[in-house]
Amino acid sequence: MNVFKSTILTAACIGVLAVAGGNVVRADEADVFKIGAVLPFSGPYGIIGKGMKQGAELAIEMRGSKVLGKPIEVTWEDSETKPQPSVQKATRLISSGAQMIFGAASSASTVALQGITEQRKIPLLVTISADDKITQANGYRYTFRTSNTLGMEIRMAIEFAKVRGLKKIYGVAADYAVTRDGMDSFSAAAKEAGIEIVDVDYPALGNRDYSIIIDKISKTDADGVALIVTGSDGVTFLKQAGQAGLGKSKVLFGPVLQDEVLAAAVGPDAIGAASGVRYHYSVDNPANKEFVEAYRAKFNEWPDSFAGEAFDGMSWFLDVIDGTKSWDREKWVDAFAGSVRENSVEGRKEMRACDHQALQVGLWGVVEKGEAPYPALKMKITNVFQPEALFPDCKE
Amino acid sequence: MSTIVIGLSMGMLLFLLAAGLTLIFGMLRVINFAHGSLYMLGAYLAFQTVNITGNFWAGLIAAPIIAAVVGALMERIALRPVYNRDHVYQLLLTFGFILVVDEAVRMIWGLEYKQMYPPELFSGAVEMFGSSVPSYRLFIIGFGAAVSAALFFMLDRSRYGMIIRAASGDPEMVRTLGINVSLVRTGVFSFGAGLAALGGAVAGPLFPIELGMGFNIIIDSFIVVIIGGLGNIRGAILASLLIGMTRALGYSFAPSWVDFLTFVLLIGTLILRPEGLFSRKGRTA
Repeated sequence: MNVFKSTILTAACIGVLAVAGGNVVRADEADVFKIGAVLPFSGPYGIIGKGMKQGAELAIEMRGSKVLGKPIEVTWEDSETKPQPSVQKATRLISSGAQMIFGAASSASTVALQGITEQRKIPLLVTISADDKITQANGYRYTFRTSNTLGMEIRMAIEFAKVRGLKKIYGVAADYAVTRDGMDSFSAAAKEAGIEIVDVDYPALGNRDYSIIIDKISKTDADGVALIVTGSDGVTFLKQAGQAGLGKSKVLFGPVLQDEVLAAAVGPDAIGAASGVRYHYSVDNPANKEFVEAYRAKFNEWPDSFAGEAFDGMSWFLDVIDGTKSWDREKWVDAFAGSVRENSVEGRKEMRACDHQALQVGLWGVVEKGEAPYPALKMKITNVFQPEALFPDCKE
Repeated sequence: MSTIVIGLSMGMLLFLLAAGLTLIFGMLRVINFAHGSLYMLGAYLAFQTVNITGNFWAGLIAAPIIAAVVGALMERIALRPVYNRDHVYQLLLTFGFILVVDEAVRMIWGLEYKQMYPPELFSGAVEMFGSSVPSYRLFIIGFGAAVSAALFFMLDRSRYGMIIRAASGDPEMVRTLGINVSLVRTGVFSFGAGLAALGGAVAGPLFPIELGMGFNIIIDSFIVVIIGGLGNIRGAILASLLIGMTRALGYSFAPSWVDFLTFVLLIGTLILRPEGLFSRKGRTA
């Protein structure tokens, strides 16, 4: 084969691949609306995937399993709580005709998904990952986050420290980029508020023994401990702190320290721990009541934060798509940016056009003993912070 | 001083986690990748037993016994046919055990975290050297010391230990003496699986019981085994204490460098004494 022929053949192959791929925005009406869900069903965040799946399933079911008059088909894939499998599976789903991607849970996986969804021009619905960098001004056109950012949760933690009158705080954050940034923000805001940061420790992510750190904290005169850890790290810390009686002399709190799922894993030692709460079934509004009732009827359990956020995000996005009456993904993206959801299960939400981050209230709560039919340990919502106090203006 | 006490408890916990792994390698020359899964299974079994009986001690006894039966079945059905093959087969097989055990745990107990509490006797804290040390940590120190003494006695002083060591060193000679070497191997693997589960049961009140917990400890266990010398129980005890103290001091002065310090210890051992810090030539236990 001569050079000319091989060049023509290569160009033809590239052309075919470009057309076959998702780079061309499709506006054709399809027989089904395909959603590709990449959620953690295994790995450190394996427990999150179940709630997200159930919440999204219910959102779809409650709208008759249809959008744009066509049946919705969801393919569930396990992200394994790792970026690489997340990208591989999302790529496969997009190649199979997914109109949107839903996921992931860990911020690292979500950031990895953003690469592929931006490249293929597929909307990415994020309902749990909290890294502030996921939604940034003029950042990712196809990414929409309907849930909290870590930044707003840090601001809630500071407000809590001020309300509780804490004067000296010991900080513990997982040795991980997002949580280190979070602790830096917390420390800076604490200093502004006149709160002294006694010391900060950065144990490894997935650390298994906090006993020495707990011993160090107990010997300081700090009156509060800010814990920027979550998942099994938070559970391990609170279990071991409980055995040493740390909670009796210090206020234990963190932006994402506890919810009902994690409190159940800690046991009674979780009582009194304060935390930001992404969603809560006790939020008093008609939309939430309807959701909680339907969720309990279908799954025979209270919806957790992951289920509530997934339900809310999925319902919102599908409503927006229906509103466009179009199969053009660019129109969905344009419509979602700047849209307002008055009847969210968490109250009013507004999708900020500049960074595709939903402005919303922030919930803060404390773990307390629950009575049937509630879980044995439940979050009592103690503070509701308004969006103006939690979200800084969009910056370039 | 309290740092030393907590360091000792960390070391003893590490020993309990790694003892089964080093025993199986020392006697069978099998690197059991499924050690972490058996540890996780032990934690879940202990949780289930405590849930049914309401008694921590029942969980501590039942978990290793049930896991030992599971281990015996694993060895009898899957491992025995590949002893004479290349080590790769054994590695792949034990890796396969991980998938089977993890999936079984997921099907039986689901994805939710489970919780266990220390027994009433060790649920409080003791004031020592100006620190409030959880009494369960003191229990771990005592229990770990008792387990290590029992292992010493069994492997070094008892007739069973002599048979195990002989079967490990020269199986053909032992076979000609009328001893069923296959049964000895099954017993050793089963015992190692029971030890892994015992580690899981002891760790239950300290960590969340979850599907990924086995993966979290397998690296720690291998570090202990490598530093102590492959298959060397004495080495495993000393290596566990060394790592425990290193970590305790690390957490005191530079928490974010703890893993780094541990790996420096590991790499230093591999460079200076690849056979392990405490190994003695020809010794397997």
